[in-house]
Amino acid sequence: MMLRTEKLCKRLDAFLLQEISLEVSKGDYYVLLGRSGAGKTQLLELICGLTPPDKGKIFLDGEDITRKRVQDRGIGLVFQDLALFPHFSVKDNIMYPLKVMKLPLKERVDRVQRTAGEMNITDLLLRKPENLSGGEKQRVALARTLVTQPKILLLDEPMASVDASLKDSIRRMLRRLNRNGQTIVHVTHDFGEAISLASRVGVMHNGRIIQEGTPDEVFTHPANRFVARYAGIKNFFRVTFVRSYNCCSCITDNRTKFKLPKGDYPSSGLLIIAATEVLLSRQGAAGVQINNIHGVIEDIVPSPLGYEITINAGDHFYADITRREMDEEKYVTGEPVIISFRPESLKMVGEGEEMNKY
Amino acid sequence: MKGHTLFNWIFALLASLVLLFIIAPLAGMFLHTSPEEMRSTASDPAVIRSVWYTLAIAFAATIIFAVGAVPLAWIMARRKFPLKNVVQGIIDLPVVLPHTAAGIALLGFISRDGFLGGAAQKAGILLVNNGAGIALAMAFVSLPFLINAARDGFAAVPERTEKAALMLGATQSRIFFTISLPQAWRSVVSGFIMMFARGMSEFGAVVIIAYHPMIAPVLIYDRFNTYGLSAARPASIIFILVALFFFVLFRVLATERRQIFRREDDATD
Repeated sequence: MMLRTEKLCKRLDAFLLQEISLEVSKGDYYVLLGRSGAGKTQLLELICGLTPPDKGKIFLDGEDITRKRVQDRGIGLVFQDLALFPHFSVKDNIMYPLKVMKLPLKERVDRVQRTAGEMNITDLLLRKPENLSGGEKQRVALARTLVTQPKILLLDEPMASVDASLKDSIRRMLRRLNRNGQTIVHVTHDFGEAISLASRVGVMHNGRIIQEGTPDEVFTHPANRFVARYAGIKNFFRVTFVRSYNCCSCITDNRTKFKLPKGDYPSSGLLIIAATEVLLSRQGAAGVQINNIHGVIEDIVPSPLGYEITINAGDHFYADITRREMDEEKYVTGEPVIISFRPESLKMVGEGEEMNKY
Repeated sequence: MKGHTLFNWIFALLASLVLLFIIAPLAGMFLHTSPEEMRSTASDPAVIRSVWYTLAIAFAATIIFAVGAVPLAWIMARRKFPLKNVVQGIIDLPVVLPHTAAGIALLGFISRDGFLGGAAQKAGILLVNNGAGIALAMAFVSLPFLINAARDGFAAVPERTEKAALMLGATQSRIFFTISLPQAWRSVVSGFIMMFARGMSEFGAVVIIAYHPMIAPVLIYDRFNTYGLSAARPASIIFILVALFFFVLFRVLATERRQIFRREDDATD
């Protein structure tokens, strides 16, 4: 295990980081996902030692580093605002840690040249940070940290100061770094970033990690409504299960009833339906005999794939339809429609005590 | 637009009155002094000696006290500690004290019976009626200018850059000298100039500590008391011109330094 934290706790004014235990294996690309204020940056600062924890332990490469000096931990951190030294050139920024390490001049120059080459910033070496674009600054900040060859690289919102058009190239660069064996912990609020980069994801909320796993595990089986909402799933309903002799069903707080495939269900839980699995029609979807619900179209908004349609059927449902389907059916707001679901498209999540918190 | 123009006129008038208030007495002094008086005063060894003496002591006091004042400014900008407001109040105290009162307080401290004066005497140094005592008096009243300017400079340094240096393995002292001080340099130099300027123009505290050797402000007062206004005027003008020269020189040097940096930046583009 490369990085392990054991029940880390820290109180910062009114904010509390609570019992954070996470494990990052060597070569992992671990993405900590959460909204601003979730405690992601504070957790990074605890790990790298800029803030001491109130309780708990941090292990790096098997060694307890909880009380070790920041300078001796072997952790690299790239801040969200990058924190380049404005009075130094790019070259001197990258050279700084090597001077601190008192490396011979030749090795310093070699390392700067090599890292600059890898980061594609060789032509920027003589510039001052104020003359760089957001993407260039990001590469310089990464180079300055990577030149120290950290055991683990912590990135705090690395795409925050990068134009949308350059995000892809930064993403490619981070993926390449990780493929070359660099263990990375990357903090972000962006679900897309997590999906595209992570080998493991931890979702943070209110100072706790509320779900952890591979992106597939986390986003197809969200542990609760907060993660579901984060994963872009809009159709989730708190339901109570009703069991009869030969079928299973559940009912929402607003009395919408769903028939479910046979199986074991808890007494209550969360029902999740992907917006692409909500079938919209005027007469009921072909081949779907059960779970046909009447409602009225409340809103139609363009989405990247076509349109997102909001249907009021006691509960609000969201359906994604393609542009072609819209051209053919020409749905309008206020129109009565039927929404249908195949039983297998309904996902159930048991709702523990944690669930209602989010 | 008419109201706007009237507003401009009124403000311009008020601003001119204030500027005139500053310029008029100085201009009057120049106009009332003949070239002959100026020539004879400029060649008076006592005047020359006192001017150089003032500049040298003010400069030395600033340099010596900067060694402690700059770290104090950094602490005030960066550290949280109990009673920080009280410490800030103590730093600002010399600005609000009557300078003669400051001189009296300092005299008690550096006279033979005082804590510092007693210790200095054992080492064979007499602080009263001595350059060292004058330097202490100048520093006492002018230190807040350096400390506060440097504190603002350090506070404006992005703390993240210091944290980044820490993450890159640097020690606290290396961070101070390579990251914090270079970024706050402009404010520190500006505070340095202000402390120097304030120190060399000090009269009240110095005259209590040491009438002799005479620094320029004491000499001007002495000439006025002994010979009257017309004798004090040329000495005042000479001191004002020399002080102004050094004040402008330091400012220009500080600006030059900035421009050199900027030229280097341009050259790297």
